[in-house]
Amino acid sequence: MAGNGEAKGSQQTGLFDRVWSWLKSTELFRSIYQNDYPRDRRTRVMVLTNNLFLHLHPNLVTRYSIDYRYTWGLGGLSLATFIILALTGAFLMFYYVPAVPDAYFSIRAFDTDVALGQFFRNLHRWAAHTMVIVVMLHMFRVFYTGSYKGPRKFNWVIGVFLYMLTLLMSFTGYLLPWDQLAYWAITVGVNIGGAVPFVGDQVRRILLAGFDITGATLVRWYTLHVIFLPLIAFWMMLLHFYRVRKDGFSATKPIPIEDHPILGKVKE
Amino acid sequence: MAQPADQAQGAQPKRPDPLDRVYTWPHFLIVEFIGLMVFVVLLFLVSVLLKAPLLDLAQPEYTPNPAKAPWYFLSLQELLLHMHPSLAGVIVPGAVLLLIAAIPYFDKDERGTGVWFTTRMGVDIYRYSFIYTTIWVTALVLFDEFVGTKPVLRLLGLPDSAVEFLGNIVIPVIVMLTVFLLLAWLVKRRWPNADRRHVFIAMFTVYVASFIVLTIIGSFFRGESMYLVWPWELTHPH
Repeated sequence: MAGNGEAKGSQQTGLFDRVWSWLKSTELFRSIYQNDYPRDRRTRVMVLTNNLFLHLHPNLVTRYSIDYRYTWGLGGLSLATFIILALTGAFLMFYYVPAVPDAYFSIRAFDTDVALGQFFRNLHRWAAHTMVIVVMLHMFRVFYTGSYKGPRKFNWVIGVFLYMLTLLMSFTGYLLPWDQLAYWAITVGVNIGGAVPFVGDQVRRILLAGFDITGATLVRWYTLHVIFLPLIAFWMMLLHFYRVRKDGFSATKPIPIEDHPILGKVKE
Repeated sequence: MAQPADQAQGAQPKRPDPLDRVYTWPHFLIVEFIGLMVFVVLLFLVSVLLKAPLLDLAQPEYTPNPAKAPWYFLSLQELLLHMHPSLAGVIVPGAVLLLIAAIPYFDKDERGTGVWFTTRMGVDIYRYSFIYTTIWVTALVLFDEFVGTKPVLRLLGLPDSAVEFLGNIVIPVIVMLTVFLLLAWLVKRRWPNADRRHVFIAMFTVYVASFIVLTIIGSFFRGESMYLVWPWELTHPH
């Protein structure tokens, strides 16, 4: 690779190229990027094995995995929404006060007084709704492609837990603005969940930290929303991704309908 | 992988065809990267254009009408209108989640993994089940709104406790199981070669379609005091 640049001749290279190749030769740059831009087999593998995050992927994938119409990237986009929510959520936490009625006024001040506050609150809200939709669509995709079978059995079960966690993370966040929408949507929601046979009253009291939605409920749901549920979701996501890596992608060579092992039996 | 005994007889071990594989960098990562960029740009655009709602300060003594749950729980809130709260809020969703989690342990045939709807027949069964569920759910919601089981039971001269028990628990359970099992039977009759995977496609589609239909009804067709209205008649909660 290094010989490539020299062969082009020194007269032709512009200022940018010279600065760039100097930058690439510095000790700092080479300590961060341990191989040159990946153009051959060896460096294409190295770029994955040398990187913690890219290491989630295998070095090679079947050519059917790169057809985006197979997965529509829904699992990856679920992760993307989770990361966006964690980042915008941390920004919201700088200003949010989990108390009654300060919560409401801190949100209103966040919209008007904080630079880009309104934008980041919008992003947090729409990303949260999007995450619920994307996680659901991901589940539908995995079911309809039969990707829960064989070695991936238990990963499907982990996925069902992650789906429930997504709903709970969204639902606990719903109360936090402490406006009329939040308060009454949570009232209805808790009434739905509090209808557990025999222990319904106890469940309601645990959920509400009392008999009504109060400041104590807000603190409890805030804690669940910002640390407890995301932490559990984070660990389950690690398990989920590890199993995807170990079990392999499910995209395979499409089987022509007439040769299909199952449809082959069908007389039409 | 071939067994040692097969190898001893000269059988080649099965290995993935190298021609079917490509390097993750750049072929796979570029697809992921472009998808991520498009997604993030769209999300940012929505966040610039649409404000997140923030109504008045919460007033525990002032109930808005109608009071609705977040949209992903509207299907459960809709069930609540038609049956006992324990059934609608806990038992039905709990059973559905358990059944969904258990799917891989009952459908073990690995043929067809990684193929959308497994076969052409699977596509037909999916479409049939979606339409079947949509018709049933819509018809049941309309029936309960305009006729209802309880008035019919009262006409029979039953005591109130029996009307409550039958109308809130027994009949909803029977109806839900009927919709579910009748579909399995219809699919098996219409497609005699449908195996377990194909019946599961039909049953999972009952969940998908009823969730979608009930969420749409709850969002756009439930007005004041949760009565059915047309979407253009919806008023703001007051």
